[in-house]
Amino acid sequence: MTDESHPPAARDRGTLLKPKLSPTEKGARFFFLVCAISALGQMLLIMVFLFTEAGRLFVSLDGEKGVSLGEFFLSQDWYPTYPSPSYGALALVAGSLSVTLLSILLAGPLGVGLAIYLSSMAGRRSREWLKPAIELLASIPSVVLGFVGMVAIAPFLQNALGLPSGLNILNASLFLAVMATPTVASLGEDALSAVPQSVQDASYALGATHWETIWKVILPASLSGLSTAVILGLGRALGETIVVLMVAGGAAQIPLSLFDSARPLTSTLAAEMGETAIGSAHYHALFALGAVLFVLTLAFNLLAHYLGKYWRRKA
Amino acid sequence: MVAEPQTIIEARNVDFYYGDFHALKNVSINIAAQEVTAMIGPSGCGKSTFLKLLNRMNDFTPGARLAGEIFISGASIYGPDADPVDIRRRVGMVFQRPNPFAKSIYDNICYGPRLVGIRKPQDLDVLVEKALRAAALWDEVKDILSKSAMELSGGQQQRVCVARALALEPEILLMDEPTSALDPIATAKVEEWIKNANLTIVIVTHNMQQAARISDRTAFFFMGELVEFGPTMELFTRPQETQTENYITGRFG
Repeated sequence: MTDESHPPAARDRGTLLKPKLSPTEKGARFFFLVCAISALGQMLLIMVFLFTEAGRLFVSLDGEKGVSLGEFFLSQDWYPTYPSPSYGALALVAGSLSVTLLSILLAGPLGVGLAIYLSSMAGRRSREWLKPAIELLASIPSVVLGFVGMVAIAPFLQNALGLPSGLNILNASLFLAVMATPTVASLGEDALSAVPQSVQDASYALGATHWETIWKVILPASLSGLSTAVILGLGRALGETIVVLMVAGGAAQIPLSLFDSARPLTSTLAAEMGETAIGSAHYHALFALGAVLFVLTLAFNLLAHYLGKYWRRKA
Repeated sequence: MVAEPQTIIEARNVDFYYGDFHALKNVSINIAAQEVTAMIGPSGCGKSTFLKLLNRMNDFTPGARLAGEIFISGASIYGPDADPVDIRRRVGMVFQRPNPFAKSIYDNICYGPRLVGIRKPQDLDVLVEKALRAAALWDEVKDILSKSAMELSGGQQQRVCVARALALEPEILLMDEPTSALDPIATAKVEEWIKNANLTIVIVTHNMQQAARISDRTAFFFMGELVEFGPTMELFTRPQETQTENYITGRFG
Protein backbone atom coordinates (compact mmCIF):
# COMPACT_ATOMS: atom_id res chain seq x y z
CA MET A 1 0.00 0.00 0.00
CA THR A 2 1.20 3.53 -0.67
CA ASP A 3 0.51 6.15 1.90
CA GLU A 4 0.23 9.60 0.30
CA SER A 5 1.40 11.51 3.35
CA HIS A 6 4.51 9.34 3.86
CA PRO A 7 6.24 8.60 0.58
CA PRO A 8 8.53 5.58 1.15
CA ALA A 9 11.71 7.60 0.53
CA ALA A 10 10.98 9.90 3.45
CA ARG A 11 10.74 7.09 5.99
CA ASP A 12 13.49 6.16 8.41
CA ARG A 13 14.98 3.08 6.76
CA GLY A 14 16.50 1.80 9.99
CA THR A 15 20.04 0.64 10.65
CA LEU A 16 21.67 -2.17 8.73
CA LEU A 17 21.85 -5.35 10.82
CA LYS A 18 25.12 -7.28 10.83
CA PRO A 19 26.33 -10.38 12.62
CA LYS A 20 28.56 -9.47 15.53
CA LEU A 21 31.96 -11.13 15.28
CA SER A 22 34.45 -11.90 18.05
CA PRO A 23 38.16 -11.10 17.50
CA THR A 24 38.88 -14.81 16.81
CA GLU A 25 36.15 -14.88 14.18
CA LYS A 26 37.53 -11.70 12.65
CA GLY A 27 40.98 -13.27 12.57
CA ALA A 28 39.66 -16.41 10.90
CA ARG A 29 37.81 -14.29 8.41
CA PHE A 30 40.98 -12.41 7.56
CA PHE A 31 42.90 -15.66 7.08
CA PHE A 32 40.36 -17.03 4.62
CA LEU A 33 40.20 -13.72 2.83
CA VAL A 34 43.97 -13.94 2.32
CA CYS A 35 43.55 -17.45 0.87
CA ALA A 36 40.93 -16.22 -1.54
CA ILE A 37 42.94 -13.18 -2.59
CA SER A 38 46.09 -15.21 -3.09
CA ALA A 39 44.31 -17.57 -5.47
CA LEU A 40 43.04 -14.60 -7.41
CA GLY A 41 46.49 -13.00 -7.28
CA GLN A 42 48.21 -16.09 -8.67
CA MET A 43 45.73 -16.17 -11.48
CA LEU A 44 46.26 -12.51 -12.30
CA LEU A 45 50.05 -12.71 -12.12
CA ILE A 46 50.16 -15.70 -14.43
CA MET A 47 47.85 -13.98 -16.87
CA VAL A 48 49.86 -10.76 -16.86
CA PHE A 49 53.11 -12.67 -17.35
CA LEU A 50 51.67 -14.84 -20.10
CA PHE A 51 50.15 -12.00 -22.06
CA THR A 52 53.08 -9.58 -21.75
CA GLU A 53 55.57 -12.23 -22.84
CA ALA A 54 53.21 -13.23 -25.66
CA GLY A 55 52.62 -9.64 -26.69
CA ARG A 56 56.33 -9.02 -27.35
CA LEU A 57 56.13 -11.32 -30.37
CA PHE A 58 54.02 -8.73 -32.11
CA VAL A 59 56.20 -5.67 -31.40
CA SER A 60 59.61 -5.11 -32.95
CA LEU A 61 62.48 -6.82 -31.11
CA ASP A 62 66.18 -6.03 -31.38
CA GLY A 63 65.64 -4.17 -34.61
CA GLU A 64 63.71 -7.10 -36.09
CA LYS A 65 60.19 -6.52 -37.27
CA GLY A 66 57.50 -8.00 -35.01
CA VAL A 67 55.26 -10.79 -36.28
CA SER A 68 51.88 -9.57 -37.47
CA LEU A 69 48.71 -10.86 -35.79
CA GLY A 70 47.48 -11.88 -39.21
CA GLU A 71 50.50 -14.07 -39.81
CA PHE A 72 50.28 -15.63 -36.37
CA PHE A 73 46.63 -16.56 -36.57
CA LEU A 74 46.16 -17.23 -40.27
CA SER A 75 49.41 -18.77 -41.46
CA GLN A 76 49.87 -22.47 -41.11
CA ASP A 77 53.63 -22.33 -41.42
CA TRP A 78 55.29 -22.97 -38.10
CA TYR A 79 59.03 -22.83 -38.88
CA PRO A 80 60.51 -21.13 -35.82
CA THR A 81 64.08 -22.33 -36.37
CA TYR A 82 64.47 -21.62 -40.08
CA PRO A 83 66.90 -18.91 -41.18
CA SER A 84 63.90 -16.83 -42.10
CA PRO A 85 61.50 -18.12 -39.46
CA SER A 86 57.71 -18.06 -39.66
CA TYR A 87 55.36 -18.26 -36.73
CA GLY A 88 51.93 -19.34 -37.95
CA ALA A 89 49.82 -20.95 -35.24
CA LEU A 90 46.93 -22.11 -37.38
CA ALA A 91 48.21 -25.66 -37.91
CA LEU A 92 48.92 -26.04 -34.20
CA VAL A 93 45.47 -24.74 -33.21
CA ALA A 94 43.97 -27.10 -35.77
CA GLY A 95 46.04 -29.92 -34.29
CA SER A 96 44.79 -29.19 -30.78
CA LEU A 97 41.17 -28.84 -31.81
CA SER A 98 41.16 -31.93 -34.02
CA VAL A 99 42.48 -34.31 -31.36
CA THR A 100 40.33 -32.68 -28.68
CA LEU A 101 37.08 -32.79 -30.62
CA LEU A 102 37.74 -36.28 -31.88
CA SER A 103 38.49 -37.50 -28.38
CA ILE A 104 35.30 -35.99 -27.00
CA LEU A 105 33.31 -37.68 -29.76
CA LEU A 106 34.55 -40.90 -28.18
CA ALA A 107 34.64 -39.90 -24.51
CA GLY A 108 31.33 -37.99 -24.50
CA PRO A 109 29.00 -40.88 -25.38
CA LEU A 110 31.15 -43.37 -23.48
CA GLY A 111 31.32 -41.21 -20.35
CA VAL A 112 27.62 -40.35 -20.41
CA GLY A 113 26.75 -44.00 -21.01
CA LEU A 114 28.91 -45.00 -18.08
CA ALA A 115 27.28 -42.31 -15.94
CA ILE A 116 23.81 -43.60 -16.86
CA TYR A 117 24.83 -47.15 -16.05
CA LEU A 118 26.33 -46.13 -12.71
CA SER A 119 23.50 -43.86 -11.64
CA SER A 120 20.46 -45.85 -12.64
CA MET A 121 21.27 -49.35 -13.75
CA ALA A 122 24.18 -50.79 -11.81
CA GLY A 123 23.45 -52.72 -8.66
CA ARG A 124 25.24 -51.81 -5.47
CA ARG A 125 27.84 -54.53 -6.03
CA SER A 126 28.86 -53.45 -9.51
CA ARG A 127 28.95 -49.80 -8.42
CA GLU A 128 31.29 -50.76 -5.64
CA TRP A 129 33.99 -51.95 -7.99
CA LEU A 130 33.18 -49.84 -11.05
CA LYS A 131 33.50 -46.45 -9.37
CA PRO A 132 37.00 -47.05 -7.95
CA ALA A 133 38.00 -48.55 -11.29
CA ILE A 134 37.02 -45.34 -13.05
CA GLU A 135 38.90 -43.28 -10.49
CA LEU A 136 41.90 -45.51 -11.04
CA LEU A 137 41.65 -44.91 -14.77
CA ALA A 138 41.76 -41.19 -14.08
CA SER A 139 44.85 -41.59 -11.94
CA ILE A 140 47.01 -43.43 -14.50
CA PRO A 141 49.90 -41.05 -15.28
CA SER A 142 49.47 -39.74 -18.80
CA VAL A 143 53.05 -40.62 -19.69
CA VAL A 144 52.13 -44.27 -19.12
CA LEU A 145 49.21 -43.95 -21.50
CA GLY A 146 51.46 -42.24 -24.02
CA PHE A 147 53.94 -45.07 -23.73
CA VAL A 148 51.24 -47.66 -24.41
CA GLY A 149 50.18 -45.57 -27.40
CA MET A 150 53.70 -45.52 -28.76
CA VAL A 151 54.68 -49.13 -28.31
CA ALA A 152 51.36 -50.95 -28.66
CA ILE A 153 48.73 -48.97 -30.54
CA ALA A 154 51.01 -47.21 -33.03
CA PRO A 155 52.55 -50.40 -34.48
CA PHE A 156 49.13 -52.00 -34.49
CA LEU A 157 47.58 -49.14 -36.48
CA GLN A 158 50.57 -49.06 -38.79
CA ASN A 159 50.33 -52.77 -39.60
CA ALA A 160 46.58 -53.21 -39.57
CA LEU A 161 45.87 -50.22 -41.80
CA GLY A 162 49.09 -50.12 -43.79
CA LEU A 163 49.97 -46.59 -42.69
CA PRO A 164 53.38 -44.98 -42.92
CA SER A 165 53.18 -44.26 -39.18
CA GLY A 166 50.83 -45.15 -36.34
CA LEU A 167 51.50 -41.87 -34.56
CA ASN A 168 48.52 -39.84 -35.68
CA ILE A 169 45.44 -38.00 -34.46
CA LEU A 170 43.41 -41.20 -34.19
CA ASN A 171 45.94 -42.68 -31.80
CA ALA A 172 46.16 -39.46 -29.78
CA SER A 173 42.38 -39.09 -29.63
CA LEU A 174 41.99 -42.63 -28.35
CA PHE A 175 44.22 -41.90 -25.40
CA LEU A 176 42.79 -38.44 -24.76
CA ALA A 177 39.40 -40.14 -24.69
CA VAL A 178 40.69 -42.59 -22.11
CA MET A 179 41.73 -39.62 -20.00
CA ALA A 180 38.57 -37.58 -20.49
CA THR A 181 36.13 -40.45 -19.92
CA PRO A 182 36.52 -40.56 -16.11
CA THR A 183 35.91 -36.80 -15.93
CA VAL A 184 32.76 -37.04 -18.01
CA ALA A 185 31.55 -40.17 -16.22
CA SER A 186 32.04 -38.92 -12.71
CA LEU A 187 30.66 -35.41 -13.25
CA GLY A 188 27.85 -36.90 -15.34
CA GLU A 189 26.97 -39.36 -12.63
CA ASP A 190 26.70 -36.53 -10.11
CA ALA A 191 24.33 -34.72 -12.47
CA LEU A 192 22.17 -37.80 -13.07
CA SER A 193 22.04 -38.75 -9.41
CA ALA A 194 20.81 -35.28 -8.55
CA VAL A 195 17.48 -36.00 -10.28
CA PRO A 196 15.07 -36.51 -7.38
CA GLN A 197 13.80 -40.05 -6.80
CA SER A 198 10.28 -38.62 -6.47
CA VAL A 199 10.01 -37.65 -10.14
CA GLN A 200 11.42 -41.01 -11.17
CA ASP A 201 8.73 -42.65 -9.04
CA ALA A 202 6.14 -40.47 -10.76
CA SER A 203 7.33 -41.74 -14.12
CA TYR A 204 7.20 -45.40 -13.08
CA ALA A 205 3.80 -44.93 -11.52
CA LEU A 206 2.52 -43.67 -14.88
CA GLY A 207 3.51 -46.93 -16.51
CA ALA A 208 6.91 -45.90 -17.87
CA THR A 209 9.56 -48.56 -18.27
CA HIS A 210 13.04 -48.13 -16.85
CA TRP A 211 14.38 -46.97 -20.20
CA GLU A 212 11.49 -44.55 -20.80
CA THR A 213 12.12 -43.07 -17.37
CA ILE A 214 15.81 -42.56 -18.12
CA TRP A 215 15.15 -41.13 -21.56
CA LYS A 216 12.18 -38.90 -20.80
CA VAL A 217 12.75 -37.82 -17.22
CA ILE A 218 16.28 -38.36 -15.97
CA LEU A 219 18.21 -37.23 -19.05
CA PRO A 220 16.20 -34.05 -19.72
CA ALA A 221 16.43 -33.07 -16.07
CA SER A 222 20.20 -33.49 -16.01
CA LEU A 223 21.08 -32.00 -19.41
CA SER A 224 22.56 -28.99 -17.70
CA GLY A 225 24.99 -31.05 -15.64
CA LEU A 226 25.71 -33.46 -18.48
CA SER A 227 26.68 -30.70 -20.90
CA THR A 228 28.97 -29.26 -18.24
CA ALA A 229 30.51 -32.70 -17.73
CA VAL A 230 31.21 -33.17 -21.44
CA ILE A 231 32.75 -29.74 -21.88
CA LEU A 232 34.95 -30.08 -18.81
CA GLY A 233 36.08 -33.42 -20.27
CA LEU A 234 36.86 -31.49 -23.43
CA GLY A 235 38.92 -29.03 -21.41
CA ARG A 236 40.77 -31.92 -19.84
CA ALA A 237 41.68 -33.24 -23.30
CA LEU A 238 42.64 -29.82 -24.64
CA GLY A 239 45.15 -29.17 -21.88
CA GLU A 240 46.73 -32.63 -21.98
CA THR A 241 50.34 -32.46 -23.13
CA ILE A 242 52.41 -35.56 -22.76
CA VAL A 243 50.10 -38.02 -24.52
CA VAL A 244 49.78 -35.86 -27.59
CA LEU A 245 53.50 -35.15 -27.55
CA MET A 246 54.20 -38.87 -27.62
CA VAL A 247 51.57 -40.19 -30.01
CA ALA A 248 50.13 -37.41 -32.19
CA GLY A 249 53.06 -37.55 -34.59
CA GLY A 250 54.20 -33.96 -34.27
CA ALA A 251 53.92 -32.62 -37.81
CA ALA A 252 52.86 -28.98 -37.88
CA GLN A 253 50.17 -29.31 -40.51
CA ILE A 254 46.41 -29.05 -40.64
CA PRO A 255 45.27 -32.68 -40.32
CA LEU A 256 42.84 -33.74 -43.01
CA SER A 257 42.28 -37.37 -42.11
CA LEU A 258 42.19 -39.54 -39.01
CA PHE A 259 45.58 -40.90 -39.92
CA ASP A 260 47.37 -37.59 -40.35
CA SER A 261 50.02 -36.51 -37.93
CA ALA A 262 49.34 -33.38 -35.86
CA ARG A 263 51.21 -31.04 -33.53
CA PRO A 264 48.91 -29.66 -30.86
CA LEU A 265 49.68 -26.44 -28.99
CA THR A 266 50.56 -28.21 -25.77
CA SER A 267 53.11 -30.56 -27.28
CA THR A 268 54.69 -27.72 -29.26
CA LEU A 269 55.23 -25.79 -26.04
CA ALA A 270 56.62 -28.79 -24.19
CA ALA A 271 58.93 -29.82 -27.01
CA GLU A 272 60.32 -26.44 -27.94
CA MET A 273 60.50 -24.39 -24.76
CA GLY A 274 63.65 -26.15 -23.61
CA GLU A 275 65.48 -25.48 -26.84
CA THR A 276 64.88 -21.83 -27.36
CA ALA A 277 66.85 -18.81 -26.25
CA ILE A 278 65.08 -16.76 -23.61
CA GLY A 279 63.93 -13.49 -25.11
CA SER A 280 64.08 -14.66 -28.72
CA ALA A 281 61.18 -14.32 -31.09
CA HIS A 282 60.67 -18.08 -30.90
CA TYR A 283 60.46 -17.83 -27.10
CA HIS A 284 57.77 -15.17 -27.33
CA ALA A 285 55.96 -17.11 -30.02
CA LEU A 286 55.69 -20.05 -27.62
CA PHE A 287 54.17 -17.74 -25.03
CA ALA A 288 51.71 -16.59 -27.64
CA LEU A 289 50.75 -20.23 -28.20
CA GLY A 290 50.31 -20.54 -24.43
CA ALA A 291 48.01 -17.53 -24.47
CA VAL A 292 45.95 -19.07 -27.26
CA LEU A 293 45.66 -22.29 -25.26
CA PHE A 294 44.63 -20.31 -22.21
CA VAL A 295 41.93 -18.46 -24.15
CA LEU A 296 40.63 -21.71 -25.67
CA THR A 297 40.43 -23.36 -22.25
CA LEU A 298 38.71 -20.32 -20.83
CA ALA A 299 36.27 -20.36 -23.74
CA PHE A 300 35.40 -24.01 -23.08
CA ASN A 301 34.85 -23.30 -19.40
CA LEU A 302 32.62 -20.35 -20.19
CA LEU A 303 30.73 -22.49 -22.68
CA ALA A 304 30.23 -25.12 -19.98
CA HIS A 305 28.95 -22.45 -17.64
CA TYR A 306 26.50 -20.94 -20.11
CA LEU A 307 25.27 -24.24 -21.51
CA GLY A 308 24.68 -25.40 -17.95
CA LYS A 309 22.69 -22.28 -17.24
CA TYR A 310 20.80 -22.51 -20.52
CA TRP A 311 19.61 -26.07 -19.91
CA ARG A 312 18.76 -25.29 -16.32
CA ARG A 313 16.55 -22.46 -17.47
CA LYS A 314 14.92 -24.63 -20.09
CA ALA A 315 14.25 -27.40 -17.61
CA MET B 1 -29.39 -49.40 1.36
CA VAL B 2 -27.52 -50.12 -1.85
CA ALA B 3 -26.37 -53.58 -2.74
CA GLU B 4 -23.02 -54.81 -1.40
CA PRO B 5 -20.43 -53.21 -3.71
CA GLN B 6 -18.24 -55.23 -5.98
CA THR B 7 -14.70 -56.09 -4.86
CA ILE B 8 -11.99 -54.66 -7.14
CA ILE B 9 -8.89 -55.29 -5.02
CA GLU B 10 -8.45 -58.46 -3.05
CA ALA B 11 -5.42 -59.12 -0.87
CA ARG B 12 -5.05 -62.65 0.47
CA ASN B 13 -2.70 -63.45 3.36
CA VAL B 14 -0.13 -60.85 2.38
CA ASP B 15 3.19 -60.86 4.24
CA PHE B 16 5.82 -58.35 3.26
CA TYR B 17 9.43 -57.92 4.33
CA TYR B 18 12.05 -55.23 3.87
CA GLY B 19 15.10 -57.42 4.32
CA ASP B 20 14.58 -58.87 7.80
CA PHE B 21 11.90 -56.38 8.79
CA HIS B 22 8.44 -57.92 8.76
CA ALA B 23 6.43 -54.93 7.52
CA LEU B 24 3.06 -56.55 6.80
CA LYS B 25 1.69 -59.55 8.65
CA ASN B 26 -0.96 -61.74 7.10
CA VAL B 27 -3.05 -58.92 5.68
CA SER B 28 -6.27 -59.88 3.91
CA ILE B 29 -8.69 -57.25 2.69
CA ASN B 30 -11.36 -56.74 0.03
CA ILE B 31 -11.55 -53.23 -1.34
CA ALA B 32 -14.76 -52.17 -3.04
CA ALA B 33 -15.00 -50.61 -6.48
CA GLN B 34 -16.10 -46.98 -6.82
CA GLU B 35 -15.55 -46.30 -3.12
CA VAL B 36 -13.01 -44.29 -1.18
CA THR B 37 -11.08 -46.52 1.17
CA ALA B 38 -8.87 -44.84 3.77
CA MET B 39 -5.92 -46.48 5.46
CA ILE B 40 -4.97 -45.08 8.83
CA GLY B 41 -2.54 -45.96 11.57
CA PRO B 42 0.58 -44.66 13.28
CA SER B 43 3.84 -44.10 11.41
CA GLY B 44 5.51 -47.35 10.41
CA CYS B 45 2.30 -49.39 10.71
CA GLY B 46 2.55 -50.63 7.11
CA LYS B 47 -0.25 -48.62 5.51
CA SER B 48 1.95 -46.96 2.90
CA THR B 49 3.80 -50.20 2.28
CA PHE B 50 0.50 -51.91 1.59
CA LEU B 51 -0.60 -49.11 -0.74
CA LYS B 52 2.61 -49.40 -2.77
CA LEU B 53 2.06 -53.12 -3.17
CA LEU B 54 -1.10 -52.35 -5.13
CA ASN B 55 0.78 -50.84 -8.08
CA ARG B 56 4.03 -52.74 -7.54
CA MET B 57 6.04 -49.68 -6.55
CA ASN B 58 7.79 -51.79 -3.91
CA ASP B 59 9.48 -53.68 -6.75
CA PHE B 60 12.15 -50.97 -6.68
CA THR B 61 12.97 -51.44 -3.01
CA PRO B 62 16.07 -53.59 -2.57
CA GLY B 63 15.46 -56.64 -0.41
CA ALA B 64 11.66 -56.47 -0.65
CA ARG B 65 9.92 -59.85 -0.37
CA LEU B 66 6.26 -60.73 -0.63
CA ALA B 67 4.18 -63.74 0.33
CA GLY B 68 0.47 -64.12 -0.34
CA GLU B 69 -1.53 -62.88 -3.28
CA ILE B 70 -3.12 -59.66 -4.49
CA PHE B 71 -5.81 -59.60 -7.15
CA ILE B 72 -7.07 -56.61 -9.08
CA SER B 73 -10.27 -57.21 -11.03
CA GLY B 74 -9.71 -60.91 -10.43
CA ALA B 75 -6.19 -61.13 -11.89
CA SER B 76 -3.17 -61.76 -9.70
CA ILE B 77 -0.83 -58.76 -9.96
CA TYR B 78 2.18 -60.67 -8.66
CA GLY B 79 1.53 -63.79 -10.72
CA PRO B 80 3.99 -64.98 -13.36
CA ASP B 81 1.98 -63.40 -16.19
CA ALA B 82 1.54 -60.03 -14.48
CA ASP B 83 3.14 -57.05 -16.23
CA PRO B 84 4.08 -54.31 -13.72
CA VAL B 85 4.06 -51.62 -16.41
CA ASP B 86 0.53 -52.52 -17.42
CA ILE B 87 -0.57 -52.67 -13.78
CA ARG B 88 0.77 -49.17 -13.13
CA ARG B 89 -1.19 -47.87 -16.10
CA ARG B 90 -4.37 -49.31 -14.66
CA VAL B 91 -3.61 -48.34 -11.06
CA GLY B 92 -2.59 -44.70 -10.81
CA MET B 93 -0.75 -43.16 -7.89
CA VAL B 94 -0.48 -39.74 -6.30
CA PHE B 95 2.44 -39.25 -3.94
CA GLN B 96 2.97 -37.58 -0.61
CA ARG B 97 4.73 -34.55 -2.05
CA PRO B 98 3.67 -33.05 -5.35
CA ASN B 99 6.17 -34.39 -7.89
CA PRO B 100 5.37 -32.80 -11.24
CA PHE B 101 7.97 -33.16 -13.97
CA ALA B 102 9.96 -30.03 -14.84
CA LYS B 103 7.86 -29.71 -17.98
CA SER B 104 4.82 -27.70 -18.97
CA ILE B 105 1.45 -28.47 -17.40
CA TYR B 106 0.35 -29.81 -20.77
CA ASP B 107 3.35 -32.14 -21.11
CA ASN B 108 2.93 -33.36 -17.54
CA ILE B 109 -0.61 -34.51 -18.32
CA CYS B 110 0.45 -36.01 -21.66
CA TYR B 111 3.29 -38.05 -20.16
CA GLY B 112 1.24 -41.20 -19.59
CA PRO B 113 -0.86 -41.02 -22.76
CA ARG B 114 2.25 -40.49 -24.90
CA LEU B 115 3.81 -43.59 -23.34
CA VAL B 116 0.92 -45.66 -24.62
CA GLY B 117 1.34 -44.19 -28.09
CA ILE B 118 -1.21 -41.38 -28.19
CA ARG B 119 0.56 -38.70 -30.21
CA LYS B 120 -2.02 -36.78 -32.27
CA PRO B 121 -2.24 -33.22 -30.92
CA GLN B 122 -6.04 -33.11 -31.20
CA ASP B 123 -6.39 -36.35 -29.19
CA LEU B 124 -3.98 -35.08 -26.55
CA ASP B 125 -5.79 -31.74 -26.31
CA VAL B 126 -9.01 -33.56 -25.52
CA LEU B 127 -7.31 -35.77 -22.95
CA VAL B 128 -5.61 -32.85 -21.22
CA GLU B 129 -8.84 -30.91 -20.86
CA LYS B 130 -10.71 -33.96 -19.62
CA ALA B 131 -8.04 -34.85 -17.06
CA LEU B 132 -7.69 -31.30 -15.79
CA ARG B 133 -11.48 -30.94 -15.50
CA ALA B 134 -11.62 -34.23 -13.61
CA ALA B 135 -8.95 -32.96 -11.23
CA ALA B 136 -10.87 -29.68 -10.77
CA LEU B 137 -7.97 -27.67 -12.11
CA TRP B 138 -9.09 -26.75 -15.62
CA ASP B 139 -10.48 -23.30 -14.85
CA GLU B 140 -7.33 -22.30 -13.00
CA VAL B 141 -4.81 -23.36 -15.64
CA LYS B 142 -6.60 -23.47 -19.00
CA ASP B 143 -4.83 -20.29 -20.18
CA ILE B 144 -1.37 -21.24 -18.93
CA LEU B 145 -1.03 -24.83 -20.13
CA SER B 146 2.41 -24.19 -21.59
CA LYS B 147 3.72 -22.81 -18.32
CA SER B 148 6.02 -25.02 -16.27
CA ALA B 149 4.15 -27.06 -13.68
CA MET B 150 6.90 -26.18 -11.22
CA GLU B 151 5.63 -22.59 -11.13
CA LEU B 152 2.23 -23.55 -9.74
CA SER B 153 1.28 -23.50 -6.06
CA GLY B 154 1.63 -26.70 -4.05
CA GLY B 155 -2.08 -27.47 -4.19
CA GLN B 156 -2.19 -26.88 -7.94
CA GLN B 157 0.90 -29.03 -8.41
CA GLN B 158 -0.74 -31.85 -6.51
CA ARG B 159 -3.84 -31.59 -8.67
CA VAL B 160 -1.59 -31.63 -11.78
CA CYS B 161 -0.28 -34.92 -10.39
CA VAL B 162 -3.85 -36.14 -9.93
CA ALA B 163 -4.74 -35.05 -13.48
CA ARG B 164 -1.58 -36.69 -14.80
CA ALA B 165 -2.63 -39.98 -13.21
CA LEU B 166 -6.22 -39.59 -14.41
CA ALA B 167 -5.13 -38.99 -18.01
CA LEU B 168 -4.46 -42.73 -18.26
CA GLU B 169 -8.05 -43.40 -17.14
CA PRO B 170 -6.98 -45.77 -14.37
CA GLU B 171 -9.39 -48.19 -12.74
CA ILE B 172 -8.00 -47.33 -9.34
CA LEU B 173 -6.22 -44.31 -7.90
CA LEU B 174 -3.84 -44.76 -4.98
CA MET B 175 -3.08 -41.69 -2.89
CA ASP B 176 -0.22 -41.72 -0.39
CA GLU B 177 -0.90 -38.93 2.14
CA PRO B 178 -1.66 -36.61 -0.77
CA THR B 179 -2.34 -33.56 1.38
CA SER B 180 0.43 -33.83 3.96
CA ALA B 181 2.57 -31.25 2.17
CA LEU B 182 -0.35 -28.90 1.43
CA ASP B 183 -1.84 -25.94 3.25
CA PRO B 184 -5.44 -26.13 4.55
CA ILE B 185 -7.03 -24.45 1.54
CA ALA B 186 -5.21 -26.69 -0.94
CA THR B 187 -6.06 -29.68 1.26
CA ALA B 188 -9.75 -28.76 1.16
CA LYS B 189 -9.65 -28.64 -2.65
CA VAL B 190 -8.03 -32.03 -2.94
CA GLU B 191 -10.46 -33.52 -0.39
CA GLU B 192 -13.39 -32.00 -2.24
CA TRP B 193 -12.12 -33.64 -5.39
CA ILE B 194 -11.75 -37.04 -3.71
CA LYS B 195 -15.31 -36.94 -2.36
CA ASN B 196 -16.77 -36.21 -5.79
CA ALA B 197 -14.49 -38.46 -7.83
CA ASN B 198 -16.18 -41.21 -9.73
CA LEU B 199 -13.39 -43.70 -9.20
CA THR B 200 -12.03 -46.33 -6.85
CA ILE B 201 -9.68 -44.50 -4.51
CA VAL B 202 -7.41 -45.94 -1.84
CA ILE B 203 -5.93 -43.20 0.31
CA VAL B 204 -3.36 -43.43 3.06
CA THR B 205 -3.63 -40.64 5.57
CA HIS B 206 -2.13 -39.58 8.87
CA ASN B 207 -5.09 -37.44 9.51
CA MET B 208 -8.04 -39.23 11.09
CA GLN B 209 -10.42 -36.33 10.53
CA GLN B 210 -9.56 -36.50 6.88
CA ALA B 211 -10.33 -40.22 6.76
CA ALA B 212 -13.63 -39.56 8.49
CA ARG B 213 -14.53 -36.71 6.13
CA ILE B 214 -13.82 -38.34 2.80
CA SER B 215 -13.84 -42.13 2.98
CA ASP B 216 -16.55 -44.76 2.71
CA ARG B 217 -14.52 -47.42 4.47
CA THR B 218 -11.52 -47.24 6.72
CA ALA B 219 -8.80 -49.76 7.45
CA PHE B 220 -6.77 -49.41 10.64
CA PHE B 221 -3.22 -50.78 10.50
CA PHE B 222 -1.02 -51.31 13.53
CA MET B 223 2.46 -52.88 13.68
CA GLY B 224 2.05 -54.42 10.24
CA GLU B 225 -1.33 -55.96 10.93
CA LEU B 226 -4.72 -54.99 9.61
CA VAL B 227 -6.50 -54.54 12.93
CA GLU B 228 -9.90 -53.46 11.78
CA PHE B 229 -11.67 -52.69 8.52
CA GLY B 230 -15.21 -51.47 8.10
CA PRO B 231 -17.51 -48.64 7.06
CA THR B 232 -15.89 -45.38 8.15
CA MET B 233 -18.83 -44.24 10.28
CA GLU B 234 -18.86 -47.48 12.21
CA LEU B 235 -15.10 -47.65 12.68
CA PHE B 236 -14.96 -44.17 14.11
CA THR B 237 -18.11 -44.36 16.26
CA ARG B 238 -18.19 -48.01 17.34
CA PRO B 239 -14.73 -49.52 16.92
CA GLN B 240 -14.68 -53.27 17.53
CA GLU B 241 -11.06 -53.51 18.66
CA THR B 242 -9.49 -51.86 21.69
CA GLN B 243 -6.41 -50.88 19.66
CA THR B 244 -8.59 -49.07 17.14
CA GLU B 245 -10.43 -47.29 19.90
CA ASN B 246 -7.21 -46.27 21.60
CA TYR B 247 -5.83 -44.91 18.34
CA ILE B 248 -8.87 -42.95 17.21
CA THR B 249 -9.38 -41.46 20.63
CA GLY B 250 -5.79 -40.28 20.61
CA ARG B 251 -4.40 -42.50 23.36
CA PHE B 252 -1.39 -43.32 21.17
CA GLY B 253 -0.09 -42.74 17.68
